[in-house]
This record gives sequence, C-alpha cells and structure tokens, in this order.
Amino acid sequence: MTLLDVKNVSIEYTTEAGVLKAVDDVSFSLEVGESVGLVGESGCGKTTLAKSIMRLLAKNGSVSTGQMLFKGEDLVTKSDEEIRQLRLNEIAMVSQSAMNALNPVYTVGDQLVEGIMTHTKMTKKEATDRAIEVFRMVGLEAKRLKSFPHQMSGGMKQRAIIAMALTLNPSLIIADEPTTALDVVVQDRILQQIIQIQKEINSSMILITHDISVVSETCETIIVMYGGKVMEKAPTRIFFKTPAHPYSLGLNNAFPSIHEIGEELISIPGAPPNLMDEQNGCRFQERCPFKTETCETKVPELEEVAPGHFSACHYNDQVESFREACKKRETWELVRDRMIEERKRGVS
Amino acid sequence: MGTPLIQIKDLKKYYPVNKGLKDMFSKEKVFVKAIDGIDLTIHKGEILGLAGESGSGKTTTGEILVRLQDATEGSITIDGHPLDVKDGKLKKSFRKEVQMIFQDPYETLNPRFNVFDTIAEPLRIHGLRDKKVLYEKVIKVLEIAELKPAEHFIFRYPHELSGGQRQRVAIARGIVVEPKVLVADEPVSMLDVSIRADILNLLKRLRQDMGLTMLYVSHDLSTIKYLCDRIAIMYLGKIMEIGPVDEVVANPRHPYTQVLLSAVPVADPDYQKERIIIDDEAPDQINLPVGCRFSPRCPFAQEACTRCDHSFTQVGEDHYHACIFEKEALKPRGSSSV
Repeated sequence: MTLLDVKNVSIEYTTEAGVLKAVDDVSFSLEVGESVGLVGESGCGKTTLAKSIMRLLAKNGSVSTGQMLFKGEDLVTKSDEEIRQLRLNEIAMVSQSAMNALNPVYTVGDQLVEGIMTHTKMTKKEATDRAIEVFRMVGLEAKRLKSFPHQMSGGMKQRAIIAMALTLNPSLIIADEPTTALDVVVQDRILQQIIQIQKEINSSMILITHDISVVSETCETIIVMYGGKVMEKAPTRIFFKTPAHPYSLGLNNAFPSIHEIGEELISIPGAPPNLMDEQNGCRFQERCPFKTETCETKVPELEEVAPGHFSACHYNDQVESFREACKKRETWELVRDRMIEERKRGVS
Repeated sequence: MGTPLIQIKDLKKYYPVNKGLKDMFSKEKVFVKAIDGIDLTIHKGEILGLAGESGSGKTTTGEILVRLQDATEGSITIDGHPLDVKDGKLKKSFRKEVQMIFQDPYETLNPRFNVFDTIAEPLRIHGLRDKKVLYEKVIKVLEIAELKPAEHFIFRYPHELSGGQRQRVAIARGIVVEPKVLVADEPVSMLDVSIRADILNLLKRLRQDMGLTMLYVSHDLSTIKYLCDRIAIMYLGKIMEIGPVDEVVANPRHPYTQVLLSAVPVADPDYQKERIIIDDEAPDQINLPVGCRFSPRCPFAQEACTRCDHSFTQVGEDHYHACIFEKEALKPRGSSSV
C-alpha cells in the first residue's frame, strides 16, 4: 500500500538575487513500512524536499507545482492547521543536529510530555508513562527524563530527540542526517535502534544522508538526487551491484572502503551546478564523461532500466559500457581536461 | 622504515577545570587530561593517521605539533631540533617547517583576501617582497594544488570558489613555504563525497613529489585507511594501538580498535557485519577509570584491567597495542578467568 506519493513536485526559494529552483519535478512513492535512503551532495535538494513534506520550509520557500499525496490526501493544499495535526501524530522528523534544538531551561522529560499532550488528549500521567516507554525503546533510562540537555552527551540528546519523534507511532519518519555529528560507534548504535523501532511500529522512513554506506546498511530503497533532480532510484542491493547513472558510477569510485586494500579512489571533477542559474538539459552534464549535445538541451526522464530500477540518463542503453569506462581514471581525467579547457577560454 | 623526522615523547596536555566557587578555594586542582603521556615517531615522508572519538586528544596533539597550543609536559623534536613545547613564542623559521590545514574551508580563508593574497601572505611574512617572484610562486603552487589554469583562479575571492577549490587554496597556502611537515586536521570531513577523493589524492601526491611528512587527524577510519601508512588509535588521551594501517584494519588487536572498526558503515549490502555492541556513552574525562581507560566500556574487561598502565605490547612489525591480554585470551566480560 502506498503511504506517500510525491508527484512532479518543484520547490522554489525566492531570494534577493532571483528564484532558486531547489527541487525540480521530482516524483517518488513510499510504501507502508518501506525505508528509503535519499542521498546526494550538499545543495541537491534532499533536505528541502523532506522539509516540504512537513511544511517546514523557510518563509521564502514554497512548493510551486506538484502534489504530495499522504494516505491519499494532498499535503500541498492542506491548511496550516491540518498539517499541524499531522505532525508528530502521523509524520515525525528527526532533523540534522536536532540535539541542539532542545530547550536548555526545561528538562527533556518536560519537553517530551509537552509534545505528547499538545498532539493528543492524554493526561499528564499517561503522557509521562508513554515518555518512559519510548525512552526505553531508544535505550535511555527513565531517570533521564529529569535531566536537562546540558547534563546529557550528544548521543543521549540525539536519542531523546528520536524518542520524541517516535512517541505517537507516526506512519512516516523523516530522519535528516540523524547521526552526522556523532562518533562512529554511537552513530552505528543509534542507526540500528532507529531501524529496529521503525520495523517494530511498522512505519515508513525517509533517511536523508550524504553517506551511501549508511543507506546500504539501513534502507531498502535508495534515491540519488543531484542538482534538484532524482538521478537514480533502485532497490539498495541492486544499486550497489549495478548502479546505472553516470553520477552514481562516479560516486561509487569516490567512496573509500575500509576493507579494500590498495584501492584507488577516483573523484568526480568539478562541483554541483549553481541552481540560481537557468538549467538546461541534464544537471550532471558538466561533470559527465559521456556528455553529448542532446544532454545540453534535453532533460532526461527517469526510465526503468530493470524491474524497480530507474535512471535519468539519455543513454541508459549504453549502461554496460559506461560502467566499464567509469572504473578507469582516464575517463574522468577527460572531464577534468574539458573543464580546464573551458576555463582557459574564459581567461584569454 | 625511514629516518624519524618527528619524535614526540611523553607528551601531556592538562586543562585546568574550575567547576565552581567552592573549587576556587580548594587546594586540589581538577584537570581534564586531554593528552596523558603519548609517544609518537613519524618518519620522513610518512603519513601517520591519528584516529579516535571526540575528546580522545587527537586534535590537541596536532595543535601542539604546530604550536598552536602549549603542552603541559613532554618533548618534541623535529628533524633533530628540539622544540620548546611550553613557550608560545616561536621563531619565524618554525612556520617554514610545519604547516597546518584545517577542517573548514569556509572559515579558514580570509573573505577579503583573493587567492593571490592568501597564498602570498606567508611568503611576504618570510621576507619575500618582489611582486613578480611572488606571482610566479603563487602560479606554480596553484598548479601543484591542481587549480588549473592558475590564471583563472589567482585573483578570485573565496566566495567565488567551491568548497573543494577553497580547500585546495588552503593547501596551496600551506605548502607554498615548502614545509617539511604538514598537519591536516579533518581536511575532507566538510567536503562532499565526490570531491573528497580528489583532496586525498592531492595529499598523496604532495607526499610523493615534495617528500612531505604528514600527520592526518581524523575520526574517519576509511579515509585514514586510504591515505595513511600507519595509524595510531587514541582513546581518552592515550594511544591504544599503533601500526601499519592495512595490518591494523585487517588484524586489530586492541578491543577498542575492534569496536571502532566494527562500527564503520560498509557500502556493500552483502557484507556480513559482526558488530561488537558496547555502551556508547561518552566517558567522563575528569574522573578517569583506574587502569585501562577503556575498561568500563570494554566488552572483554576483566579484573586485571585495573592494573593496566597502557604500555605497549609488540604484535607484529611496527604493530603495537596497549591491551594487557593476548587476542586469544580476550573473554567476554563477567566470565571467570585470570
């Protein structure tokens, strides 16, 4: 059953310098109980997309086109009050460095109980019991409810935040880089706990991260975004075995692995496009080794390359040869040379 | 192994803590022991990775080496010359020998300096005034840092550059005085994955072409594994394990190293991971445990661990660890032994 169906959504920020199209015509859907990893570089629109689902965009940002059907109802057209009702009850978010968002002058327990009472009809006693229960689920002792944020470590605060998000068994959890600021041992434990709880309460999850290895360990589906567009969507296992889009192929080369000896990393030359500029054609063209004239003018659509595996490239039929070519350093050196040539033309 | 270039002996850094009014009048001083007696040798042309959690003392070690901080005790010699580790005043010549690259390429460049000024400044400080020579030197170092064509970048300001390009400018600024030693503190952690590899490859090449010796400080074991020759794992101010990086990753001896490695995410859905679950609470840095500092969290801790003094046991060529047990003798906590 489909829980969330995002259809052709574009999101724009109005700035003094003009309109920035942070998300451009993105569609994807999420089944009940499914976990999706949304990955991409900074500025690719992944956080914007997630925030828009809960209507938490900055004031200058808005969904310009498209629909977001949550349990069949369009979130985009709902009133603020209706969205407020959904928050925490139905959709909960664990945001980036949310641990710094705790109010320093209240105990975490008070903040948790307040949240529960605002969104339900529970009495204080019931809310407190529920708080103790969710604290246990995330591995915190009940006495921690009486702690102030400064008395807790980063990991504990992040756990408290996760507990808050999960208190009302939401159908959708949006976790935006939930463990980025934490040490690797803590990160691993917390991710495991999130997954476990998500499975227990059978909610769906969107996990936003820049680290594809985290997705590999936690999510069933992966969506790769670049420059405000979805480049590839696939079941995680298939993605890591046979990535299809040139950008994903490049990402795989650039990722150091702890277990491989003598590997050679190859980066993708260049940087993501500036979304303030008018975008024509494929967003990745500038850094793509296989760019042609078509790529400069025509926007590639997501095409199914294998069951459940979608890639937005004009040359999906050549994926086999791309895959081979992408493993070679020379392929990417050509892109670098092309960029240097272009800059030289600019200098002279 | 080459000749030792940097020798750090019994280095200590204690930060005094004043907890409140009461403590101000009590005679007993309380300290955070950020570094508590470490020995490190870095050979000429070697890249040593320093890993550990936040609060392990890895950054402090790097900062003392570039003399951004004074040490409480200990000695450092660089290329045979002893360094005064307690006195903040430095001879200018020291900065020609040791340079640093910082974590955040958005904060370390002066927004009002263009690329040329940024890179030429250290040269000017060291007495080079000739504009033409400065320009040529800057162009050359930009090419080395792979900002090509250099003429395209030389008069740009930081806001016109991407994160990766900024970090290259910071590296160019570091190497323009041709130092012997480069300390890099998390130089890629703020960069996007697709750009990271580039900076790591650049650092590799600098070692090869300029014979640079590097201390690479990071919490990211995968990048250390890619870049470094040897790795030292720190925990609460002590070195837990040190050795050739491939050897330590393939055959970790200290329980803490094993825990750390088992927590690193792997980008292979088929990889069967054996997790070692431990209490992930950050340890108290003031009231340190008796004996082994890792023992309160260690899944193999025994009573004997209270007598551990973190002295090294050699387990292979250049491979040392500070656990009192042999690997085979490690037994789950609570099981009777010893």
